[in-house]
Amino acid sequence: MSALLDIRDLRLGFKGLRGITEVLHGIDLAIAAGERVALVGESGSGKSVTARIILGLLQEARAARVSGAVEFDGRDISTMPARQRAKLRGTEMSMIFQDPTSSLNPTFTIGRQFAEVMRRRQPEMSREACDRRASEMLAEVSIPDPARVLSAYPFQLSGGMNQRVMIAMALVNHPKLLLADEPGTALDVSVQALTLRLMHDLVERHGTAVLFISHNLGVVREFADRVYVIYRGRIVEEGPTRALFDNPGHAYTRALMSAVPRITGAGLPEVPEVSDDFLAPMVRHTGGAA
Amino acid sequence: MSLLSVESLSKTFQTPSGPVHALRDVSLSVERGECLAVVGESGSGKTTLANMILGILAATSGTIRFDGRELPVRRGPEHRRAIQLVQQNPLSSLNPKRSIGASVRLGLDTYGIGARSERWARVEAALEEVGLPGEMRRRGPSGLSGGQRQRVGIARALACDPELLVLDEPTSALDVLVQARVLRLLNELRAEKRLTYVFITHDLAVVRNVADRVAVFKSGELVETGETARIFTAPEHPYTRSLIGAVPVVDEDELQLRNTLAGEQ
Amino acid sequence: MTRALRIIASNPMSLAGLLLVLLIVAAAIFAPWVAPFPTHNTAVIDFAYANQGPSARNWMGTDLVGRDIFSRILYAYRISLGLGIVVLIIAAPVGTVVGLLAGYLGGWTESVLMRLVDVFLSIPPLVLAIAVLGVLEPTLTNAMIAVTVMWWPWYARLVYSIARSEREEGYVLAAEVIGAPTAHIAFREVLPNCLPAIITKMTLDMGFVIIIASSLSFLGLGVQPPTPDLGSMVAEGARYLPDSWWMTVFPGLAILLAVFGFNLLGDGLREVLGVDE
Repeated sequence: MSALLDIRDLRLGFKGLRGITEVLHGIDLAIAAGERVALVGESGSGKSVTARIILGLLQEARAARVSGAVEFDGRDISTMPARQRAKLRGTEMSMIFQDPTSSLNPTFTIGRQFAEVMRRRQPEMSREACDRRASEMLAEVSIPDPARVLSAYPFQLSGGMNQRVMIAMALVNHPKLLLADEPGTALDVSVQALTLRLMHDLVERHGTAVLFISHNLGVVREFADRVYVIYRGRIVEEGPTRALFDNPGHAYTRALMSAVPRITGAGLPEVPEVSDDFLAPMVRHTGGAA
Repeated sequence: MSLLSVESLSKTFQTPSGPVHALRDVSLSVERGECLAVVGESGSGKTTLANMILGILAATSGTIRFDGRELPVRRGPEHRRAIQLVQQNPLSSLNPKRSIGASVRLGLDTYGIGARSERWARVEAALEEVGLPGEMRRRGPSGLSGGQRQRVGIARALACDPELLVLDEPTSALDVLVQARVLRLLNELRAEKRLTYVFITHDLAVVRNVADRVAVFKSGELVETGETARIFTAPEHPYTRSLIGAVPVVDEDELQLRNTLAGEQ
Repeated sequence: MTRALRIIASNPMSLAGLLLVLLIVAAAIFAPWVAPFPTHNTAVIDFAYANQGPSARNWMGTDLVGRDIFSRILYAYRISLGLGIVVLIIAAPVGTVVGLLAGYLGGWTESVLMRLVDVFLSIPPLVLAIAVLGVLEPTLTNAMIAVTVMWWPWYARLVYSIARSEREEGYVLAAEVIGAPTAHIAFREVLPNCLPAIITKMTLDMGFVIIIASSLSFLGLGVQPPTPDLGSMVAEGARYLPDSWWMTVFPGLAILLAVFGFNLLGDGLREVLGVDE
C-alpha cells in the first residue's frame, strides 16, 4: 500500500565549527492518508527537526545536511526545487505550532490572515468568499461568534481562542497532512484538553492525516492511532497506540512510561536518565494500521 | 503551630482598565515538614501568593505569619534566609556569565554562613547533596542540561539553609525522565532536612505524588483544600473535578479513576 | 580565545577589519621608527620639496612646507587613537554606571537619570562639542573633554536597555530572593551580561570618535598645528584642491581606513560575543 508520507532512512547532520554533528541517524516513518500518527520523544530527540524536514524548511538551511527519502503523496520533497516545496506548505500540508499567539501575525486581523492562507491555494478568491469560508471553519472549531473573531487581532483573543483559530486556519485549505508540533503546550491544561478534542474531531471529519509531535505521553495516547517513539535521533519503538501503551517493548519506552507521574498515586519509581539499554534495537508492534 | 499561615490575604492590582483582584481573601496554613501543593491555571493567583510569601510583593490586605511571627514585606535577613525559591525556568534562573559555584555561594556570602575559607567546601557539599559532582562549581551554566541546572537551582536555595522552599513549577520545563528524578530528589531532601514545601504547579499528576495537602485556586480564590488522598478520591468542588478531568493519562487505571472523578456531579 | 579568532577568521570582512586595526595600531606605535621622515611631525620647513606629488621619496607627496604626508599620517594616527582610547575609557564607564543604575533600579532613579541622558542626546553631538570648545580653549585636552561629554549618554542608553531586560531574568530574581545587596546584583550579576555589547560598541565607536575628532580639527577646533592631525590635514589640503589632491586624498583615506577597520572588527566581535542588534 502507498503511504501519504513515506520517510526512509532519513539522516540529518549539522555542520559546525567542529565538523558534522549527526542528529538523525536513519529514520523510517510512514503515515497513511487520514491516519493520526504521533512522534513522541524528549527534548533534543530530533522530533522537531523531523517536522521541519517534512515541511521542507531544513533542506534550505546552509548548515544542514539532509539525506534519505521524504516522499509526500508520491513525490520526493528532498529533491524537489525549493519553489515547489514552498508551494506545498499551507496548501497540501500545514502546521500548528506550540504557542498559538506568537505564531499569528499581531499586525493583521484574523480575517486578513485567513484570506492570505486561502489565496495561497486560490489566488483569485474574493475577500467576501474568504470570510464566508473562514466563518464556516471557525464555526467548526466551536467559535460561537466568527464575525467578531475575524475582525479581531490575535492579541485581543485568549490563548485558547487563538489556538482554535490556528487549527481552523491550518485546515481551511483541506491539507492532506497536518503537522502539529506540541500544540497547546503553552496553554492551560483544561484549555489544552478541549482544543485537542476539537482538533481530533475535526481531522477525523475532514480525513486529514496528522503527524502529532509531543513529549507528553498522556496527550499522545488520547490523540493518536499509532505512535513512534524517538530517542536521540533513532526510532526505538513503533506500534498502534493501545498496543504500545499497554505493552511497551523497548527499554526506553518502558522507562518513559514508568517515569510519568500517575493520578492514581503510584509513587515515583527510580528510573535512570540514561542507560545503554535505551540504545537497543527498535521494537515494532505487529498488527498495526500501517 | 503552623510554620506558615496566611490569613485573609488579598492582592489587588490597579491597571488602566480598572482594578484586578489577583488574590481574594485567602487563608491557609502549612505545617512544618509538610508539602502543600498550590494548584491552579494561569490567572489563578498562585504566583501572586508565592511572591507575597517570598516578600517580593506587598499584600493589599491580610497577614502572613511565619513561625508565629508576622512577616513584613521588608523583612530582616533571618526571615529572608528561611524562605527560599526554586524557579520554573532552568534556562534563565542561572546567570550565564557566572560559574554555578558563584551562584550557589551567593547565599553563603549574603548571610555570612560559615567561615570565608570554608565556603567553597560548603558549595561543593551543596552540589553533591543534589547529586552533582562538587568540582562542577567551576563550570558555567551553558554546558549543563536542564535537569542539572534545576539541581543547581535547588542547591542554591538549600545553601541558605532555609526552612521553607517555594517551588514554582520546578519540573514543568523538564523532560519526563529528568522530572521523575528531580521530584524524587525533592522528596528525599524534604524528608532528610525536615523542609517545608509550598509546591506551585498546574500538573495534578505531579501533585498526587509529592504533596501532603492540596489547595486549588481559581481566579484568585481558594476553591478547595484538603488532604491529597481525599482530593484524588472525592474532590468536592466542580472546578477541582474539571481539572482532574483534563489530566492526560497513560494507563487504564488512571483513565478509570479520572472518568469516575470527573464524571461525578 | 582560539574560538574567537576562528569565528573572526571565518568571515573575510571581520578578518580584514582585524588586520586593518592591527596595521593602524602598529603604525601609530612604531611611527618614530617606521616613518621615512620622523622629524616631520613638528614645524619643520623644507621648501626644496614643498608641494610635491607622490614620488619614490615621498610616497604620498608633501605639504606646502615640504613635510612628508605619509610620515605625518602615521603620527596623526597616534593622536587619533590616543584620543579615541581616552574618550572611550572615560565615556564608557560613566555611561555604563548611569545606564546600569537606571535600568536595574528603575523608579525615580530611572526617570531622573534617563531624562538627563535624553537632554544630552537631544543636542546634535557635533554642535555640543563645538559649544564646549567655544567656551573652553580649542586644545587637544579640551577636544577630548568635548567629545567625552557627548559620548557617555550613548553608553548609558545602551546599558540601560540591556539592564532593563536582564532585570526580568530569573537569576536576578534569585539574587533578590536571597537578599543580595543591590550593588552586588547590579555590578556582579547584571553588568557581566552587558559587557559584550559594551565592548562591541567601544570597538565600533573608535572609528566614530576618530571621525568626530577629525571633524573638530577640520573646523580648527581640535588639535592645533604643527601637531599632525588627520582632520586638520584634510582641511588644510582642501584649499589647494584639485591641483594638490594628495594633501586631502591621503589623509582622507587614512580616516576612511581607520573607521572602516574598526567597524568591520566591531561587527565581527558582535558575532563572537553573541550580541543582539
